[in-house]
Amino acid sequence: MRDNTLKYLLVLPAVVVVFATAIWPLIEAARLSFTVGRLNRPGSLDQYIGWENYTWAFFEEPAFWNSVYVTALYTFLTVGLTTLLALGLAMLLAPGGKLRSAAQTLLILPFAMSPALIGVSFRFMFNPEFGLFDAFFGAVFPPLADVSWLANPNLAFAVVVMADVWGWIPFLTLVLIGGLASVPRDTVEAAQVDGASGWRVFRDVTLPQLGPVLAVVIILKSIFSLKTFDQVFMLTNGGPGTATQTLSHYIYFNGMKYGQIGYSASVAWLMVIPMIFLTYAYAKFVFRKG
Amino acid sequence: MTGKQKKQFWNLIQTTLILIAMFIMLVPIIWIFLAAFKTHVDVYQLKLFFTPTLENFATVFDDPYRLGEKLVNSTIVALVSVVIAIPIATLAAYSFSRFSMRGETMMLVIILATQFVPAVVIILPFFVMFRDIGLLDTRLGLILVNLAIVMPFAIWMIKGFIDGIPMDTEEAAMVDGSSRLQVIRNIVLPMAAPGLVTSAIFCFIIAWNEFLFALILTNKNAVTLPIGLALFKGEEGDLWNLLSAAGIIIMAPMFVLALMIRKYFVQGMTMGAVR
Repeated sequence: MRDNTLKYLLVLPAVVVVFATAIWPLIEAARLSFTVGRLNRPGSLDQYIGWENYTWAFFEEPAFWNSVYVTALYTFLTVGLTTLLALGLAMLLAPGGKLRSAAQTLLILPFAMSPALIGVSFRFMFNPEFGLFDAFFGAVFPPLADVSWLANPNLAFAVVVMADVWGWIPFLTLVLIGGLASVPRDTVEAAQVDGASGWRVFRDVTLPQLGPVLAVVIILKSIFSLKTFDQVFMLTNGGPGTATQTLSHYIYFNGMKYGQIGYSASVAWLMVIPMIFLTYAYAKFVFRKG
Repeated sequence: MTGKQKKQFWNLIQTTLILIAMFIMLVPIIWIFLAAFKTHVDVYQLKLFFTPTLENFATVFDDPYRLGEKLVNSTIVALVSVVIAIPIATLAAYSFSRFSMRGETMMLVIILATQFVPAVVIILPFFVMFRDIGLLDTRLGLILVNLAIVMPFAIWMIKGFIDGIPMDTEEAAMVDGSSRLQVIRNIVLPMAAPGLVTSAIFCFIIAWNEFLFALILTNKNAVTLPIGLALFKGEEGDLWNLLSAAGIIIMAPMFVLALMIRKYFVQGMTMGAVR
């Protein structure tokens, strides 16, 4: 068979699978978003109502805006904190040696942990009676001794952010260690010989070299933060009230608990829009290598 | 302080920071490991020393929890997803790596993009469709939907590995009269084997830990391990010793697998943007 035909045949099965499992649902979700779309009402999935679901979300549903706010704040905090802490940890671990490479190996473990289980484990750690972190924070900062973390909206939010940061630091750290390894040593040494302080070397030599890797990490983490569902579901289930209800959780709740498939599809599509921009930005970095 | 003392002091600070960081990273995991061996009395106290018991592991596999069934479901779903995804992805990855096609970049970007679509968007239409054709709460349904997340990863990861294999052996074999398919089977597959195994393990971990699809699509027969965690809510709240035992069953095998592929997981997770 000629290569010219073969090359298309080889990708065909993969393209079919990706289309059927990822592209088709996107299109179908778009269609559903323009219907009445009630799970318990037969025929409503083909009953078109124009943009009504979207205008409903925008103008009639404070809960939608609440989840937008929660997701935005959550993304901002988790991306910022994870990146900063991971950068610090990567600088600490990059030089290598026994202790440091052992630490790098251990960092794989939280990555392999199911996010749902991370949620469970943090609910455990912040249990008011026998949670280890609860006891720790109470000892270090007495006003927090008697609080019930997950019952307080702000503190519950803080716990959800902590669980996310905890779960993602290892991955970001390992990526950044890889990035640091590609910073040329002689440039760093030359700057040190010239008498530049540690901070100057970091700011003027290391950081600019690390730029692209840092950008990749921030985009990727933003995407995963925006999508967050598993930990939130297991940790707080969006509560107390709707204090930790992310967009994914809001969509799940409306679609599955209230059976409003049409409405939740419209919110889901609103969520896809920022993803398109982020994916575009990410793709630029992937193909820059090509 | 002399220069040498200063350096020693600085080293000591760094070592301490590393140890603290590792402690924070490991403590939630260690705590689960400890709790899994505690009795239901000990688990409700901040105890470090206790008489370990294996009872929790027996209980979670027993009625009414029957975690064994979930374990079987998780294993089958993850395994079959990988077995379907890897061969299909390998063929596509080879083609993307070795040939240039019309719209190739576009295809690769779309495959990458599907990875970033929120799972909750994908699952809504599948829920409706599966309800209509009777695939709700089946392992088959779960496997099909899992392909949506596993396949793009596999294509990108395997492409990365094949990109790294030099083309000259292939070209020499072609000159000697081998067909393209023979080249793929006899030269590329053996050389890419470690990469394929790595990708398979990577996808297995992702499918194993998948939560949202299983939460929405299953309720009894096809429930997987992460969803099984929800079983351990008693009338007096969470049954932490049982939750922890189930947690170990979920995470311990993944720890072993992840350690096997630790060198590659950065590349895998970034879909080749960072190598």
